[in-house]
Amino acid sequence: MARYGMALDYKSCINCKACESACKEENGILLGADKHRIWVGVKDIEGIFPDLSISSSGFEPSQCQQCDNAPCQTVCPTNATYYDDNGVVRVNPEQCILCTYCMEACPYDARYIDDRTMTVDKCNFCSDTRLINGETTTACQATCPTKVRIFGDLDDPESEISLVLRARDHHSMKEHLGTKPKLFYLT
Amino acid sequence: MNFKKILPYNRHTFSSFFSFERTPLNVFMLMLTVGLVGFLLYGISVYLQHGHHAYGVTRQHPWGLLIAMYVFFVVSSTGLCIMSSLGHVFNIKAFQIIGKRAIIGAIIAILTGFLVIAFEIGHPVRMVIYNVLTPGLTSAIWWMGTLYGMYLFFIILEFFFLNNGNHKYSKIFGLAGLIVGLAAHSNLGAVFGFLVARPIANGVFFPLYFILSAMVTGSYLLFLIYGWRYKMKFPPEVKKFMVTLAQVLGLLLAILIFFEIWRALTAIYGMMPERGDIAIHMITSKNFLIGEFLLGMLIPFVVIVYSRGRAIKTLVYTSITGMVGIFWMRYDLVHDTQLAPMMPLKIREYSLPPGLVEYTPTSIEWMIAIGAIGVSFMMYYTADKFFNLDHDAKGH
Ligand code: SF4
Ligand code: SF4
Repeated sequence: MARYGMALDYKSCINCKACESACKEENGILLGADKHRIWVGVKDIEGIFPDLSISSSGFEPSQCQQCDNAPCQTVCPTNATYYDDNGVVRVNPEQCILCTYCMEACPYDARYIDDRTMTVDKCNFCSDTRLINGETTTACQATCPTKVRIFGDLDDPESEISLVLRARDHHSMKEHLGTKPKLFYLT
Repeated sequence: MNFKKILPYNRHTFSSFFSFERTPLNVFMLMLTVGLVGFLLYGISVYLQHGHHAYGVTRQHPWGLLIAMYVFFVVSSTGLCIMSSLGHVFNIKAFQIIGKRAIIGAIIAILTGFLVIAFEIGHPVRMVIYNVLTPGLTSAIWWMGTLYGMYLFFIILEFFFLNNGNHKYSKIFGLAGLIVGLAAHSNLGAVFGFLVARPIANGVFFPLYFILSAMVTGSYLLFLIYGWRYKMKFPPEVKKFMVTLAQVLGLLLAILIFFEIWRALTAIYGMMPERGDIAIHMITSKNFLIGEFLLGMLIPFVVIVYSRGRAIKTLVYTSITGMVGIFWMRYDLVHDTQLAPMMPLKIREYSLPPGLVEYTPTSIEWMIAIGAIGVSFMMYYTADKFFNLDHDAKGH
């Protein structure tokens, strides 16, 4: 029993996409632009040469926010989407009817259709491949060359993530929607 | 036990079932129906081979034409149910003659809606099972689906009792169907209205608008059904009903236009992102201006106001444009809800550079969506053959 979350030191991101590759490999995600659990957002440089704004450019790695109050879960008609014991929002493919209401309701475009099971899938913090074996890392975090990602138990006051969230200023995406995301962007 | 006593119906042989007057219009409708059903069957066969890949839906635009068409049919059903209840539930005299025909229309429309949605939901059988085993009580889709199931049950009973002349029970089930239908239909509005992530849809507008536009749709359909039934030669009581219907429709359209104006103004005012910009895009699109506004509201409204509701023959024709407009209302509400990309920084590898999410239905989607109308024609023909849908001498 834990409450897993992830902090992202996103200003260190170099858009190498190692995390995305690792995720695809770890979780056996199909190829194709539509099929991604995690992604790297790109902010384009603003301004006209030579007055370019360097501060405007940057990268924003993201994925399912593992919302504590997840709209995708609330709208699911069959409870195929559920919170597991670790507070991770998961999909049970046996129960998913592919109504895609969750894809409609997720404010973060975090869900996609897995063509093999013909059900909706999403990031589950490597629950099936790592957490279930007692590991406490995710593939994206383990592989990141610039150590952008800090993964851990938010309920443990001594975990690295709890310490860093206490020490550093941070924000989450679209917090005003009341989704209570568990992805934190360190500023 | 004589079944015919419980539910009076007309006996038919194979040839009497298929015999009809060979007027050009009838032959045209036959060909249209056969063509539409052919499209539907072809569309379904491609869907069964390729699944959702046969459709133009994407990760960013998961709901497409078939959802719009499902909404179109269930709106039609609820509309017919509400309008018919004006007569036999609320005892408005002019409307009392339409009971059976309107309710069979409502049954047919919802069955066609269910048919369409079966080819949109990935696992319809699983849906029936887990709707019961693990109900998602916070889901508007769960409520909508469950209530529509009950609604169908009630209106079938209502039709049954209307046919065997049991007014007490037809009234009870009519009222039950009406209440559950209103709940189901406003829940369908809430399927969109509850989307906190999508400011253009979020809020109270859709649940209310769905009921109002259902009544408008029901009125158009009644014009079409009665225009077809009497081939424009209306007996006096039907004429009286149609003039009253036209006046009610005029009022409903005025309210609808009023709703739309305030919806647009409140959405644009302040230009809140994902709301103001989307609203402007919406109301300046051809779909809205020509489809929704001109065909769906303005033309019928002008005819009603100009003729004070007396031009019932013209109104039968304008109900065709009205229904085309209603189709675009459904299409737009589904499409516009999804116009704003949820993660605008997801560009390059994942989606197109920031802009609005695009969606074009594939020909297979069109075939299933439009083809389904053929199924409702077929069902109506069958019902008309087997049941006496006309009102009796007492006006029931
Ligand atoms: S980010 Fe989207 S998919 Fe993930 S928990 Fe939140 S609403 Fe659900
Ligand atoms: S697509 Fe599956 S997980 Fe998503 S809301 Fe529908 S049933 Fe639930």
